[in-house]
Amino acid sequence: MHIIKNDKLLIWFSYIVIVLFSLVCLIPFIMVVSASLSNDQEVALHGFSLIPRNITFYTYEFLFASKGALLLKAYGITIFTVVVGTLFSLAVTVSYAYVAANSDLKYASVLSFVAWFTMVFSGGLLPWYILTTKYYSLHNNLWALFIPYAINVFNMFLMRNFFKGIPKELSESAKIDGAGHFRIYFSIMIPLAQVGIVTIALFYALSYWNDFFLSLMLITDRNLYPVQLLLYNMMSNISYLTSGGGGADAYAQGMSQVIVPTMTARMALTCITIGPVILVYPFAQRFFVKGITIGAVKG
Amino acid sequence: MNNIRVDNMKTKKKWSKSIKENWPLYVLSLPGLIALLLFSYLPMAGLYIVFERYTYQGGLFGSEFVGLKNFEFFFSNMDNAIRATRNTIVVNFFNIILITVVAVTMAVMMNEIRSKWFKKITQSVMFFPHFISWVVVGTIAITFLDEKKGIVNGTITSLGLDPIAWYSNPWLWWPLLIFFSIWKAAGFNSIIYFAAITGFDPSYYEAATVDGASKWQQVTKITVPLLMPTITILFLLSVGGILAGDITQILGLTNLNPMLLETTDNITTFVYRTAIQNGQFESASAVQLYQSLVGFILVMFSNWVVKRYDEEYALF
Repeated sequence: MHIIKNDKLLIWFSYIVIVLFSLVCLIPFIMVVSASLSNDQEVALHGFSLIPRNITFYTYEFLFASKGALLLKAYGITIFTVVVGTLFSLAVTVSYAYVAANSDLKYASVLSFVAWFTMVFSGGLLPWYILTTKYYSLHNNLWALFIPYAINVFNMFLMRNFFKGIPKELSESAKIDGAGHFRIYFSIMIPLAQVGIVTIALFYALSYWNDFFLSLMLITDRNLYPVQLLLYNMMSNISYLTSGGGGADAYAQGMSQVIVPTMTARMALTCITIGPVILVYPFAQRFFVKGITIGAVKG
Repeated sequence: MNNIRVDNMKTKKKWSKSIKENWPLYVLSLPGLIALLLFSYLPMAGLYIVFERYTYQGGLFGSEFVGLKNFEFFFSNMDNAIRATRNTIVVNFFNIILITVVAVTMAVMMNEIRSKWFKKITQSVMFFPHFISWVVVGTIAITFLDEKKGIVNGTITSLGLDPIAWYSNPWLWWPLLIFFSIWKAAGFNSIIYFAAITGFDPSYYEAATVDGASKWQQVTKITVPLLMPTITILFLLSVGGILAGDITQILGLTNLNPMLLETTDNITTFVYRTAIQNGQFESASAVQLYQSLVGFILVMFSNWVVKRYDEEYALF
């Protein structure tokens, strides 16, 4: 009896802790959304709050009217990187993982080692930066936003474990039927590894969407700023909102009295940045648990 | 001698035979190999920069060779480099430990919960912070920590206490950086442990229940010991990165705010500030070398410790 009572206590405790942790993860997002919907002057007077103060879409209207062109361009750059970058990284990673999973081949363990070693030893930022900008000319061009992320070792191992989970008999019988390596790979293995491919595709897509490391390091041309870098620059430099970038002055002339919502504008921009992630997320989330469970890192 | 030569011939033959039969596989792995070479292995070779006076014209392998001179410069100006090293180690040390503790706790607790919809909803919420960038976390932090308008100071002052100077007191930032890292990573890392737990043989638990073990005993005597290999592997992999500071975290959260550099300047931001922003390559390159070397030595060392403790848990 005593034990059962304690067990119940443990389960209730688990519920409570998980609910609390989930709230800690959730509340910050509610804060940002309500800040973006608040009246800027109210925020200046009373501070941020969980429930929007004087609900208004003024900040969004201001952003789209004065910075619309800039935002659209940045969105274009980001979407380009997400689409092209994800496809590129998938092609490189999945093929590498397939070969590394092929245990008949001695070379497969070499591939795994070569990838693994980069996880424990790295040359660091400085040589990487010099090589990338000076020698590979990945500087101020669209290539710079995805080429350096061709292969993510974590995703590669996830994918390799996926391929390892596919019964060998399938490819062996195909071999006996006269199928070549490419045929086995493209028409048998890739369709079988779909769940794994979708999982790492989502990982790649989200990391491209969120990345501002590459753009920070390799992009100085304003015309090539992706959304994240734009947000970063608006954070660090509020004058980015009020001047420059075109549009703001024209917008100011059109209105008798323009209030620049300095506090809420960042919040609105943040919401615009995470909006698409929230939209894809319910669909994507199913794959993360399933994908990681099947391909879980086993070294 | 002769034997060795014969062996060599044999392996050579094997390789060429393997290439003839499996060339499509070699071709498939080539793009990935090239990418790793360009963006991971050549930068390792690029550490040669520590022995030269780097100039743009000379480049990585053609600048004047100066031997250990950069280290002299480094030791004469080491205050900032040491500060950066200290900050990186403090923050990463607590990150590695606390993220693991929180993630394992969440996974173990999640395993006790039967309600499917509850699991789904809370997991979705807990993973989400992993999928936003540090810039976004930075703006979120403002709504809480802004000295005048943030909700934290708002609450504190309404209780009649003095507001806290979040963005000008550097000593608040070790706990803050660690907190934000846990917030962002722990929920997502818990999937890996949760996945491992769901793979455990249920007969262990059935037997334990029959023997009258409580849930708590099952957790401490079955779940946690069975999780140890996964925890150890992930721990070993993260030890190598203990000197790798997260630059996007610092930029996103503090924007390299000079008032906070005392505790937020890590090795990576230090290299970024001195070499990439200001063009002073001497001390940055020296830091870069020891960052890479010490990280490597740490992995080897911790792997050796783990191996002595239990052969099976080691990485290699």
